[in-house]
Order: sequence, then C-alpha cells, then structure tokens
Amino acid sequence: MDAQKMGQAMGLAAPVMLAYVSIGIPCGVMEAQVGFTPLTAFLFSGTYYSGAGQFMVPNLWMAGASLFSIVLSVSFVTTRQLLYSTAFAPYLAGEGRMRTLGFAALVTDETFGVNLDRYASGEGWDSTRAIVVNVACMLSWALANALGAALGSVVDMPIDVLSFGMTAIFICLLMGQPASRTTAVVAGCAAAGVALCKLLGWGGVSIFVGAVLGVVCGVLFEEGTGHDVA
Amino acid sequence: MMSPSQIAVLWAALLVVMLACRTLPLVLLRGRSLPARVERAIGMIPAAAFSALVANDLLQFDTFASDPRRVLVVFASAGVVCVVARRSGSLLWCALTGMGVYALLGLVV
Repeated sequence: MDAQKMGQAMGLAAPVMLAYVSIGIPCGVMEAQVGFTPLTAFLFSGTYYSGAGQFMVPNLWMAGASLFSIVLSVSFVTTRQLLYSTAFAPYLAGEGRMRTLGFAALVTDETFGVNLDRYASGEGWDSTRAIVVNVACMLSWALANALGAALGSVVDMPIDVLSFGMTAIFICLLMGQPASRTTAVVAGCAAAGVALCKLLGWGGVSIFVGAVLGVVCGVLFEEGTGHDVA
Repeated sequence: MMSPSQIAVLWAALLVVMLACRTLPLVLLRGRSLPARVERAIGMIPAAAFSALVANDLLQFDTFASDPRRVLVVFASAGVVCVVARRSGSLLWCALTGMGVYALLGLVV
C-alpha cells in the first residue's frame, strides 16, 4: 500500500479517532468502576469493540442487572450490525473470505459510515484502505479505554458533550446522502421508527427497527410512485 | 465489582453475538446475484441507518421530560452541524463544531 493511499485512509479515520479518544477515556473510567483493569479494557475494546455496548455494560452492572440480562440487553443493541454487514456485501464481492472477515469484524457505526460513503462514491475505494480505517479507529478506541481504566475516577469528563461529537459525525454522513424523494422518505420513516420504539420503551432495538422501517418504506415508496426506480 | 471470570464470560458471550452480526450477512451475501428489489433495498440502508442513528441520539425523551431546555441545546446544536456539513462536508469540522456549540449552549441555556 503506497503512502498516498495510507494518507487517504488515515485522513478519513482521523475525525473518528478523535471522537473515539474523547469517548473512549470516559468509557474506560466507567469500566474501571466495575472491575476492568487497563489490560482487560484494552482487550475487551479491541475485540468486542462497541461504544454503545461498552457504555451499557458498567451502567447495567451498577444498576444491579445479572450477567444474562446484560448480554441480552447489549445483544439487542448489536442487531443493527446485521444491516451494516448486509450493506457492504455488493462492494466486497471479489474479496477473499479471510479479508472479508477481517474487515467485517471491525465495523462500527462510524467506520460503517465513512467506509460505505467512500465505496458508494465510486472513486475506487478498496478493502485495504477500509481495513486501515477500521484498525486505526479500533486501536484509538482500545487505547483510550485502557487509558480511561488506568485513570479511574481521577478524571471527570462531560460525556454528553463528547458523545455529541459522534452525533455530529452521523449528521454529516446523513447530510451527504443523495438528495431525492426516496432518501427523504427513507430517512423520515427511519427517524419516525426510532421515535416510536423509544416511546414504546424499546430503546434497545430502536436503531435496527427504525432502519428496517426506513428501507421498507423506501422500497414501497419507489414501487408505488415510480420515483428513482431505474 | 465484576470478577475476572465474570468479565471473561461477558466478553465471550458478547463477542460471539457481535461477530455473528458483523460477519454472517456479509459472508453469506457477497458475490451472490440478488433480486433487483433486494439490491435497491440494500442501497437504502445507509440513509436509513444514518437517520436512525441521528434520531436515536437526538430524541432523548427521558432527558427532555426532566429538563426541557435540553431540547433547545440538542436541536440547535444539530442545526448548526447540518449547516457545517452542507458547507464543508468535513467529518472533523462537524465533530468539533458539534461539541463546541453543544458545550456553549449547555452553559448559556
């Protein structure tokens, strides 16, 4: 891989890494409060690698939840990964099985967004650069978690402010979607689905259900109106 | 506090679910010829997923009920980020602007 491609991948990863360091440290602080050492925080973050899931674990444990209940609750939140994985299928058709698995194992909300944005741009994004993005972001997350676990309760960070950095990244990726009526229907229905799930108390599956609802509505809209159908 | 064995059990269980969700659809679907309808649906996943992620972050009903001022802070910050996203398209500028505006509004509202 040449320096230019590496630079492209790292340039794309940089904002996500910045956000991950900002959020990873307070996440590590919370993990330390329920018994994680810096090493276990690093290994947990580098393999399981899920911001939402890792924030849930200490919160649920401190609220008195059982291990089984934690696994079940966090697994619901994980279901959205099924959609991300499906979305990459057309772009990785020619890749080997191990490379595909290596890439897929490190996809998060944010790396899904930046990599899919590049793949969909049609500007020749490849799996090597996508894996560099994934690994760089994973390392920043794992190291930030380990640092947070080492610092323990020494630091007090405004988690809501830092986590809004992630929200801003998602907003930027959403604004970058092609402007069309179908996109508006898909996005509107997805947001409505999330709102409905939250109002019904199904927050754990709101992203998955909302996204599926958005896609279903988008397909029905295209078929019903003929918009954007090739 | 969790014991090391409890952390290990938790890690193993969560990792199995996570890896299955992350890899199975991709491994099973890649390289396959899919019906046109399914391909169109897959093409809609990014807009649906990003919108769902944004909505999930912005719609904090519990927080809004206890502190209605958070509605203004959250949505005004999101509005500013939309403008920055439209003008720059930069993830970094959006993240920095979003955190800055959110922190500032949190102080003054």
